[in-house]
Amino acid sequence: MNCEEATNLMDGYLDGELDPITSQTIEQHLRECPKCDQAYKIHGSLIRSIGNATPYYKAPAELRERIQSSLREEAAEQPVRNVAPDARPVIAEKRREPRSIIFGTSWNWLALAASIVLVAIIAWNLVPRLQQPGANAEQFLATQLIASHVRSLMANHLADVASSDQHTVKPWLDARLDFAPPVVDLANAGFPLIGGRLDYLDQRAVAALIYQRRKHFINLFVWQVEPDAIKMTKAISRQGYQLLHWVDSDFNYWAVSDVNTNDLQTFKQQFELQTSRH
Amino acid sequence: MALLLKAEDASETEEFESTPKIVKFVVVKKREEDHAQPAELTSFEEAMLPHLDAAHNLARWLLRNEQDAQDVVQEAYLRAFKSFAGFHGSNGRAWLLTIVRNTSYTLLKKNRAVDLTTTFDEEIHAAGYESVSPATILEHSENAELIREAMDELPAEFREILTLRHQEGLSYKEIADIAEIPPGTVMSRLARARGKLREYLAARIGKDK
Repeated sequence: MNCEEATNLMDGYLDGELDPITSQTIEQHLRECPKCDQAYKIHGSLIRSIGNATPYYKAPAELRERIQSSLREEAAEQPVRNVAPDARPVIAEKRREPRSIIFGTSWNWLALAASIVLVAIIAWNLVPRLQQPGANAEQFLATQLIASHVRSLMANHLADVASSDQHTVKPWLDARLDFAPPVVDLANAGFPLIGGRLDYLDQRAVAALIYQRRKHFINLFVWQVEPDAIKMTKAISRQGYQLLHWVDSDFNYWAVSDVNTNDLQTFKQQFELQTSRH
Repeated sequence: MALLLKAEDASETEEFESTPKIVKFVVVKKREEDHAQPAELTSFEEAMLPHLDAAHNLARWLLRNEQDAQDVVQEAYLRAFKSFAGFHGSNGRAWLLTIVRNTSYTLLKKNRAVDLTTTFDEEIHAAGYESVSPATILEHSENAELIREAMDELPAEFREILTLRHQEGLSYKEIADIAEIPPGTVMSRLARARGKLREYLAARIGKDK
């Protein structure tokens, strides 16, 4: 492989998207060519650093409300099956918003619109301020999470309590933590529960739930949210591991694994689905 | 933390005296009264609302405007709901982001945005690029505001691919599906987008020196 070919494939190599044989050829070239190796290292650290610092525009809470109410209205207009007439949404009958924002007329609930604009402006002003210290803390946490995940796979320290029975794992964790993490078995969805473990992260004791996906393991770290936490979801790819972070009203979740992003997203959906039923 | 509203922003609040927090409370309150809803809507919300941040973030980067982004996301969710019966895949996020992306482009085209492709003058920002070393760029690479400005200058197809890869961590295959390009094109477009972003950052840093 010559330098030009290596340069053309560099982004694919950085992203871990090349086939193993091409990756090996590139690695060989980087060992032999200090110039390309240097360029690769600089490009890599720049890309990572820029990626981490790019502002992430979370959806304001008002947008969720707005979407849910327009969905209800839409659902109410469709033929409703399996639902008694009096169980239909009350709100939908009261409100008459134009259905299409882009192609129709503008929205007429001026007060709320004004509030959304205001909240958007505030959020807009806050995002750059919040992003920067948060980004570093998050990077540090991500490193800790991956380290903990890797450690758990070494030397047979995967689980403190090895059981696929959620009713065994949960009481074990509850007794040792000052909170009660949700524990569900997702074997039906292809993510059998392997067990639970105590871990120490972000200066606190946390629960680690271990799930299996085919031959891979997923560590799900759970701890309590701060009172002012905002519901969110974030996916990070780092050192070849996938991290999926989400926050609900009670807990912080970090799923860490070497399974692909899709599997991790599916895992999250299934986990949320199952926990909402308990 | 103090909320510093700029003077031009303050005019937005004129006809609306109460604080945003109170309005938010009222809206939430209304929703709580309303529990009964069709099973189809419940399963749609369970599958798609978790991706609201991703949807909003993509729309915001594509449209570079908060109000447009919110309108597009709302429109996209309605469209997604209408075709949800036809969705049988496992990757709900990619499916939703495809709809968000297409809805965003519809609006961009309607507004006759000229930046849909890279055919604009690529040389215009290049001045000063060579004089800024990678180490200097790296020093500035955690400056979120600087990155936002440089990103916003990129054409839509570059903003889109950088968001999908760097922020959503999507695979090349997923990106190819969402952006409707051949998988082989993803790597080269991503490389060009990153190169251009580096260049714009360098130009901005060079200008400030």
